[in-house]
Amino acid sequence: MTTVLLVDDEKLVQRSLEKTLLRAGFEVITAADCKGGSESFRQNAGTVDIVVLDLNMPGFDGVPKSGAGLDLLEDLKKQQPNLPVVILTAYDEVNKAKDAAARGSSAFFVKGREQGLVELIQKILKET
Amino acid sequence: MTNDIQRHVTLLKAAARAAKNITTILDPYELFQRTVDIICDEFGFYYAGVFLVDEAGEYAVLKAGRGEPGKAMLKEGHKLAVGGNSMIGASIANRQGRIALDVGEEAVFFENPHLPKTRSEMALPLIVGEEVIGALTVQSSEEAAFHDADVAALQTMADQLAIAIQNSNLHRQAERRSKLLKAANRVGKEVTSILDLETLLAQTVNIICEAYGLYYAGIFLLDAEGEYAVLRSGYGKAGKAMLSEGHKLKVGSESMIGACIAKGEARIALDVGEERVHFKNPHLPHTRSEMALPLIYAGKALGAVTIQSSEENAFSEDDITMLLTMAEHLAVAVNNAGLIEELKEAHNEILRNKVFEALTTASTEAIHWIGNKTLPISVTVARLREEIADGKVDLESLKEDLDLITESAVQIIQVKEQLIGAVRETRPRPVLLADVTQTALALRKIPEKIVKIKIDPNSRYVIADSTQLARALGNLLQNSVEAGAKSIRFTAGPSEERGFVEITIEDDGEGVSDDVMQKVWSPFFTTRGGAHHGLGLPAALHVVSQSQGRMALVSRAGEGTTVAMYLPGKNVTMEIPQSGSVETILLIDDLDEWADLFSDLLKGTKVKLIRSADLKNLPPADLILLDEHINSLPMLEILDALSQADLNAKTVVVTAAINPERVTQFLRGGIKDVTLKPYTGKEVGEFLMYK
Repeated sequence: MTTVLLVDDEKLVQRSLEKTLLRAGFEVITAADCKGGSESFRQNAGTVDIVVLDLNMPGFDGVPKSGAGLDLLEDLKKQQPNLPVVILTAYDEVNKAKDAAARGSSAFFVKGREQGLVELIQKILKET
Repeated sequence: MTNDIQRHVTLLKAAARAAKNITTILDPYELFQRTVDIICDEFGFYYAGVFLVDEAGEYAVLKAGRGEPGKAMLKEGHKLAVGGNSMIGASIANRQGRIALDVGEEAVFFENPHLPKTRSEMALPLIVGEEVIGALTVQSSEEAAFHDADVAALQTMADQLAIAIQNSNLHRQAERRSKLLKAANRVGKEVTSILDLETLLAQTVNIICEAYGLYYAGIFLLDAEGEYAVLRSGYGKAGKAMLSEGHKLKVGSESMIGACIAKGEARIALDVGEERVHFKNPHLPHTRSEMALPLIYAGKALGAVTIQSSEENAFSEDDITMLLTMAEHLAVAVNNAGLIEELKEAHNEILRNKVFEALTTASTEAIHWIGNKTLPISVTVARLREEIADGKVDLESLKEDLDLITESAVQIIQVKEQLIGAVRETRPRPVLLADVTQTALALRKIPEKIVKIKIDPNSRYVIADSTQLARALGNLLQNSVEAGAKSIRFTAGPSEERGFVEITIEDDGEGVSDDVMQKVWSPFFTTRGGAHHGLGLPAALHVVSQSQGRMALVSRAGEGTTVAMYLPGKNVTMEIPQSGSVETILLIDDLDEWADLFSDLLKGTKVKLIRSADLKNLPPADLILLDEHINSLPMLEILDALSQADLNAKTVVVTAAINPERVTQFLRGGIKDVTLKPYTGKEVGEFLMYK
């Protein structure tokens, strides 16, 4: 079974996405910030197939930070360079997407257009 | 003594008296006119006139003449050629006095139709040093009226007159010089004190024209390419017309301005009608003299000033020197004003960037917020549709989904509330700060024990809308609680700014970092995660600004936050309210400051106030007042007791912060009315009349 690590500090966002992913047949591990995301990934070494993480959330120091998700992206990529990561954000901003791509993200997903998230995850996993 | 000797003595005495009078007169026109009058009056002559030689030395021009003949000749511009065959012309040319004893027979005499009775004439040159400046004509209706000896006597007087004329000229020059100095000083002083370029230029042309009594002045500044001198300010109607036409002159052209800028030196045309270089300007038909002065600062031409007079040869050396100095001052002022303009532009640019930055921050936060609040709804609804389509709806899961949707919707509605609050009509009035603060605490369910309130007796009242202020204070107090504050100090006292009250809310919460500090006033920015909308502080600022107040915030991470609010204060005098039809009021409230105030305000009236919270034994009253935020008793219990006693129709709920939803609830429960609390004698009076 495919396991998704979902990292988002917004409780309602996290839970609603978790339920959507569960219904799609994924195993879901959740975390609410960079530190939690990094630790969850380490603890579940080898089982996480793909990560969906929020762009803006508390950073490794626990303080909310714009673009903290990129720090977690780098951290996860260090742990597993070929790990597919989807960046989830409310911002429809090209520069942020480019930045994320430069750091190795597989996709940049804008909140509000999430109906295609399950299909996107499936597509990325198929390609990898 | 013979008659001749006696006459000569009389003549000498008269000459001395005339000379004495003449030498005291400084105004040239008065001097000339008084001279001819004195000569005729003292000597009893038929006519006297003063001629001055023109600048070219070609003509002796009449400057003053006795009586009607004098006036007529002045009007005609009477002048006689120097060296011509007239008595005057000859006396000037020969530097000697002349006598014609029977002028009708003298070949040299020009028969003058204005002076038909002249039978004897004497012409006396006016000599100063080596220069003949004019001549004096003295005429008698008697034949052989003058003797040779008389010439000497009158020549002495003529010499005095010549000196007086020279003195007058010197005085006039000194006076003009002094006037010019004053004008130059005024120009220099005034132009350097004006920092706005457009004002500077407009004022300068006015000052120049008024101070120097000139026909026109205009200021040209170089365009960005340095190709044209563009008129930026012009005096009077002509200036207005040329400005509207966008008048400009090419640098290096034949025009006075163009040439002056190109060469970097002043250009002067004293009779511009004959000057080739002058641009004939249809807007300035009377110009006879023009000066173009370059405006140079630090070796760089900024433009030029044109100064025009309707008189020929209008500019003396002194004028030129003064105006050049003035142009130097003006160049410095133009340069300074230009620098100020550049600074202003730079400032505006910074401001535009800051505003854009602020808007962008607000929009970014709003996008983030909206994205996060709507996502759970859309994702959940999409999944539920799939589950319904598959016929696999789990009731427990559905219940959770509905909670997710509800919670997201509630948060969106909270934003709507904050926004509605901001656009709600405000009613600023003196409000009792302690009461509004207590209401804010009650509305936000903040335990009073963690808040220490200290209000200076001189700062009891502020001018604000009590509903809006309760919301603003509530936002700030809630922020403190959410920052983990264990203790909040609420203080109010007179501000350093006269007439203002300083309210500070100091907490021992987590505080914020410098980075966060830059964003705290941005709408939708929050450090508190998903359940917050980030509008509390901006909404409070909006309320305070509406009351003409201001806010400040200081905070350090880990050291708490202090928010200061400055609101206009009000000293409310305890005037006695007018009583209405109400005789007894039952007040159901805590023993708080508003209840005490209300009680005090009613003391001077006929109204009897009963304060009681004994719900089992409610005393009779015409009107029952119930504080919406009473702490000592549960509201439901009170409403139930009132209902049981059938007293709802007599009950008015009073509050510092009125809310339409709560008003509806009370009214549906049968309560007579819900209204804002009165805080002053006048308001209590209105309240009693109305109720």
